[in-house]
Amino acid sequence: MAKILIVDDSRTSRKVLRGILEANGHEVLDEAGNGQEGLEKFKTVKPDITTLDITMPVMDGLEALKEIKTIDKDAKIIMVTAAGQQSKMVEAIKLGASEFLTKPFEADQILKLIEKL
Amino acid sequence: MFNQLFGKYLVDSKHISSEQLSEVVAMGSKIRVKLGLIAVSERLLTTQQADEINRLQAVMDKRFGDIAVEKGYLTESQVSRLLGLQGNAYLTFAQILTDKGYMSLEEIESALAEYQRKYGFTMTDMEALRSGEVERIVPLFLPNIDQPLFVEIIGVAIRTVIRLIDADMYLLKASFKDSVDVSKIALQHLDGEHKATLAFSGEGKNLLAIANTFAGEEFTDVDLDALDAVCELINCINGLFATSISYTKIEMDMLPPEYYDNSRKATAKQICDVPLCIKGKRVELLVTFDEMMNV
Repeated sequence: MAKILIVDDSRTSRKVLRGILEANGHEVLDEAGNGQEGLEKFKTVKPDITTLDITMPVMDGLEALKEIKTIDKDAKIIMVTAAGQQSKMVEAIKLGASEFLTKPFEADQILKLIEKL
Repeated sequence: MFNQLFGKYLVDSKHISSEQLSEVVAMGSKIRVKLGLIAVSERLLTTQQADEINRLQAVMDKRFGDIAVEKGYLTESQVSRLLGLQGNAYLTFAQILTDKGYMSLEEIESALAEYQRKYGFTMTDMEALRSGEVERIVPLFLPNIDQPLFVEIIGVAIRTVIRLIDADMYLLKASFKDSVDVSKIALQHLDGEHKATLAFSGEGKNLLAIANTFAGEEFTDVDLDALDAVCELINCINGLFATSISYTKIEMDMLPPEYYDNSRKATAKQICDVPLCIKGKRVELLVTFDEMMNV
């Protein structure tokens, strides 16, 4: 069972993701609606895994990833993307993202990624 | 999609009642068999392979058969044979109309000719409509658009709505406008080698036709949560579009989606306003290309 922080500007996505994770025995420690808020919550809740949406207002997922990795280089981060963000995915890999999750969410895909980490 | 368009025409022109149309459409959807199921029953695919393709379809703007060929599970000729087994939707529709005794085949053919005359479709257009292929149908309803990517993003939007929201949706004649009054709108801009905006707007509660299905919720009003759900669909559409054009080395990036639940004007030099009927509700698909929409 993993303790997870969800960072996504979409309430719909947060709700769907939380539903899938909790239904499968994982604990969602907290949620954040943008990268800045996610960074603050990462510092306080200390999750096993953080899911970071790439496209967010205020601070996007790549910037948040960079900041989180500065705080904890071993942080396990799953980047959440819509299809079509290949160049950002490459950048995320360079910044140390662990895995990628593509919207719309598929429960099997999410659970396999969590298990892998 | 043509069944809905032609069916609506048959009701409007009093060939059949709306109740009869609903019955025929419902029967048609019951007997529509998925390609994956046919492939498995024909022992051309394993259940696991069919499931894998279904999962891929959730994140790719491609048809089941195209993915199966790409993965090397089926040949193109096998896909053609399976499609033949699946049956043409229009023929199924016509078959049910005659089986139920609502119209004879001659009456259907005659109504089809009236429909063709009324909307000015050529024989080639009618073939495209009857084929049921969205790629061939969508351009018939669009105004003249020089930029192929403009047509492509609209096509991706409609195919995604069909795939994720309503397989029986249809579109009406689209037009260019420089200003559209909207009461509720969800949108996302794309930036990069081209600029674009894709939005859905709807009067009253019409956007719930998208929001409730996409989020699996029972929103009762088009509030901010419902609009957020519509934005997520837009995000998927734009993601698929950005992926497809990235194969031709064109980069476009998605900006954070926006939504507004109060009346305002959407303006641009050229907004393509595509009226859609989704789950019986009218929703406007608004798209600009090579410029962003001001809302």
